[in-house]
Amino acid sequence: MSTPQAHAHIDPGYPDGPVNEPDFLSVEKGLKSWLLTLDHKRIGMMYLFGILVALIVGGAFALLVRTELWAPGKTIVGQDTYNQFFTLHGAVMVFLVIIPGIPAALGNIILPIQLGAPDVAFPRLNLSSFYLWMAGALLLVGAIPFGGLDTGWTLYTPYSLETKTPVLIAVSGVFLLGFSSIFTGLNMLVTIHKFRPQGMGWFQLPLNVWAIYATAIMQVLATPVLGITVLLLAVERFAHIGIFDPTLGGDPVLFQHFFWFYSHPAVYIMIIPAMGVISEMISTFSRKPIFGYRFVAYSSVSLALLSFLVWGHHMFVSGQSRLANMVFSALTFTVGIPSAIKVFNWVSTLYKGDIRLKVPMLYSLSFLLLFTIGGLTGLFLGILAVDVHLHDTYFVVAHFHYVMMGSTLVAFLGALHYWWPKFTGRMFSESVGRACAIGVFFGFNLTFLPQFVMGARGMPRRYWDYDPQYQIYHQLSTIGAFVLGVSIFVTVVSLIASFWTGKKAPRNPWGGSSLEWQAPTPPTLYNFEKPPVLHELYNYDDLVEVEEDRWERRAPTELESHEVDEAEGHGHGSH
Amino acid sequence: MTDHPHAPHEPHGDDLGHGADHGHGHGSPFIAHHYDDAQHQFDSGKLGIWLFLAQEVLFFSALFVAYILYRYHHPEIYSYAHQYLDVKYGAINTAVLIFSSLTAAWAVRCAQLNQKRGLILCLATTIVCACAFLGIKYIEYSHKIHEHILFGRYFDPCVSAGGGELLTRNNNCAGTKSTVVWDFGTGTPTAGCFTEIDQDPRRDGVQADCTVKEYEVSGPEGKTETFKRDITGQCPEESPFGGEATSSAAAGGGKLEPGGKGGESVQAKGGEAAAHGGGKPCWRPAFQPAVCKKGVGILVEYGDNVEREHTRIKAECKAAPKPSDAGDLFADKPQNLELGKAAIHPRHQLTVHEQHELEAAGPPPEHINMFFTIYFAMTGLHGIHVIFGIGVFLWLLIRAIKGQFTPDYFGPVDYAALYWHIVDLIWIFLFPLLYLIH
Repeated sequence: MSTPQAHAHIDPGYPDGPVNEPDFLSVEKGLKSWLLTLDHKRIGMMYLFGILVALIVGGAFALLVRTELWAPGKTIVGQDTYNQFFTLHGAVMVFLVIIPGIPAALGNIILPIQLGAPDVAFPRLNLSSFYLWMAGALLLVGAIPFGGLDTGWTLYTPYSLETKTPVLIAVSGVFLLGFSSIFTGLNMLVTIHKFRPQGMGWFQLPLNVWAIYATAIMQVLATPVLGITVLLLAVERFAHIGIFDPTLGGDPVLFQHFFWFYSHPAVYIMIIPAMGVISEMISTFSRKPIFGYRFVAYSSVSLALLSFLVWGHHMFVSGQSRLANMVFSALTFTVGIPSAIKVFNWVSTLYKGDIRLKVPMLYSLSFLLLFTIGGLTGLFLGILAVDVHLHDTYFVVAHFHYVMMGSTLVAFLGALHYWWPKFTGRMFSESVGRACAIGVFFGFNLTFLPQFVMGARGMPRRYWDYDPQYQIYHQLSTIGAFVLGVSIFVTVVSLIASFWTGKKAPRNPWGGSSLEWQAPTPPTLYNFEKPPVLHELYNYDDLVEVEEDRWERRAPTELESHEVDEAEGHGHGSH
Repeated sequence: MTDHPHAPHEPHGDDLGHGADHGHGHGSPFIAHHYDDAQHQFDSGKLGIWLFLAQEVLFFSALFVAYILYRYHHPEIYSYAHQYLDVKYGAINTAVLIFSSLTAAWAVRCAQLNQKRGLILCLATTIVCACAFLGIKYIEYSHKIHEHILFGRYFDPCVSAGGGELLTRNNNCAGTKSTVVWDFGTGTPTAGCFTEIDQDPRRDGVQADCTVKEYEVSGPEGKTETFKRDITGQCPEESPFGGEATSSAAAGGGKLEPGGKGGESVQAKGGEAAAHGGGKPCWRPAFQPAVCKKGVGILVEYGDNVEREHTRIKAECKAAPKPSDAGDLFADKPQNLELGKAAIHPRHQLTVHEQHELEAAGPPPEHINMFFTIYFAMTGLHGIHVIFGIGVFLWLLIRAIKGQFTPDYFGPVDYAALYWHIVDLIWIFLFPLLYLIH
């Protein structure tokens, strides 16, 4: 019975030599070759650039909101315009940036390579996901010239049935974006199930793959509920079917239930991929195996399952029954367990590690701190009595920005830097990257720490005006927002500039242990010019930094016997 | 689904991955080149379609949840409204869809056995069945659209669920029904319906947990009136039996036309009214029937306060009935009525069927439009899936005629058949939930 071990003896990995095949960026030229491509990396890159544009649009709205809040009363715009600003900021950031950010863009590019696969399972479906995303994005942003959208990203009824703003256009966009997300998730699930190479059992998967797997489960099972909900909302808008309209006997709170049945899992669709990439980066830059691999893997899946059971904690003050409130509150606390396991394991991975403060690692460390704050403040909100006070205040705003932005977006930026050399073939500017990472960290905290304080002191969210006592917090927050905005903008510009200015990237600039670092940089059309060799995951013993940002595998690795057993136990080891 | 990795049948088993192996040829032109072999592609597609079906179930789930929720809170709506649906059509459609599922499954078998003719026949039959389903749905829909049995504010039918005529809130009924003239000589309306429609359907205390009895009184003109009776207390003065007006006295006081002339507001069960000389009385939907929780019966009441005063029928109000013995009320009361004939149904416990019939004769309960919201949303979404399925099967049919399916490559037929089964399955849930309520 031969095992992958046999390869390990003869092939220590790729030397960083010339690649005979053209890389995926130059295999075909021209706009058409991009627009009709079935290559997962090209589709991922199109996603990525779409998402970066959306990030800048959403960020611009954020800065407009913060500018308006510089002083009480009118600063730059009136109430109605302000309502549209925060709505579009939320909708663009959630639906266009954070949800597809890691799974659809980076996941698309990296996941098949991490599996040693030539592509995702359904490349055409993958391309259609991208076009659905594109169409949805255009519709959502297209609402702006038709009068903006002022419902808040949550689209709560009955206001969304009454407002004069083009809800119909926007929810059509959300519907398409939902199906884009479903098809991406479906593609990822099938890819992970069917495209693992022999010898790679479930517990030899990179944790990023586990995270995307957990995410994909939620994408496939939760997003359809959003689809039908916004479909009903749209039909309600133009045909008045009455399902959410109390004047016709419908129940507007039912909309909230449906919406959060998706949108709570969606919060985990946003955060779990971030946890996946953080696991990769922390292990790589600590030069240590991830602590408690199985716990990290299982905690991703258990978060995915728990995410379906806690939607009611968004509705503690919406008139739910007391029993429902108590059940949802109790379940909400259970979410803390897998989250805490992850944080504990990351910190343990750092412990006594050989930590290298590269740009992705700076983002990862930011993530650890910000996610801890975001997660713990979530527990405050899960307490029923406290939530009555804090509901719909800036405390909530700060909490979910710590999770959505401080964690997910920071992880996204980190992961973007981490894999950027791999798929573009260019190194980015380390110094600009570090300065921006630090700018993001401080700008972020300056923006949102004051919001915790003013929220706890009673400043309601989404208000255009406020009492002067809150002004100092708003001003700190606004200053922070600009620091943050500038840092992110410079980051994006610097990354894109690296296409022309960056030096050529080697195969393995960070000394990562997963399969994507064996692929050529940038990868060839089908990712590998020869089959990759499976080494023990997260084992950095044989990786040597031959020069700065260039690692090679020097000594052959023998798979530990238990690894082989495991592979056989799963039926993957034998040929 | 199993989670075995790809390449169990991989001929070049020494590769760990397959990235570099993009030169090898596949047997069939339809095996995409990133798959190891036909089996790998088939397995991937199969897992994909199962996940898609899971997505479909969740997509429909919100509507099922809405169904359960509204039905739990308003059972009366469902028990009334389903009577607008024709079980016959639903049953035929169920049979048609189940048969088409059989032919879809058969098509897979034919493809596996390389029976091209059989495959084409099965696919074509499936398409025909799907079209038949939509045809029947079209008949149902067009009937409902014509009768204004619709969702939301468009619910405005001219007939009750039992077939009696309704005077509707928006008065969309055709023809001369905007006014009515009642001929007391014959006891029939000579023309039209009311113009003034009671806008508030919740007036006059029709309570969901009422303790009232419903019984009917036949008037001298052969008219049948239905009254409520509070069995918990003394016979109140406002009781229809406590007033002095006789039916003939009411002749001048009706509110048939805006001017208040011409007759009396009259209510009767549609079926009975027809029996009484072929008249076509109009139902006022102003008051809703209430289902009494204790199961004592169904209250059907019409007319607003003012109008009822005008149409009060003289009756002697005897001693208060014993609350403990509702049966006595029905046994004794009729003899005290000057209107003559005994009230119907003494001591009679209505069967479910009778209850439904009685219910169906009256006007719809409040917010009955919710049922049709659910009905149209669910069947409409299902219908869209059927249309999509027809498209897919047409595509398969063309490919089958071209002979592209072989025992090595029949994945699309299999996936489409699975999809078709879930469409069928959803209908199998919809049929009893919507049509067969009891």
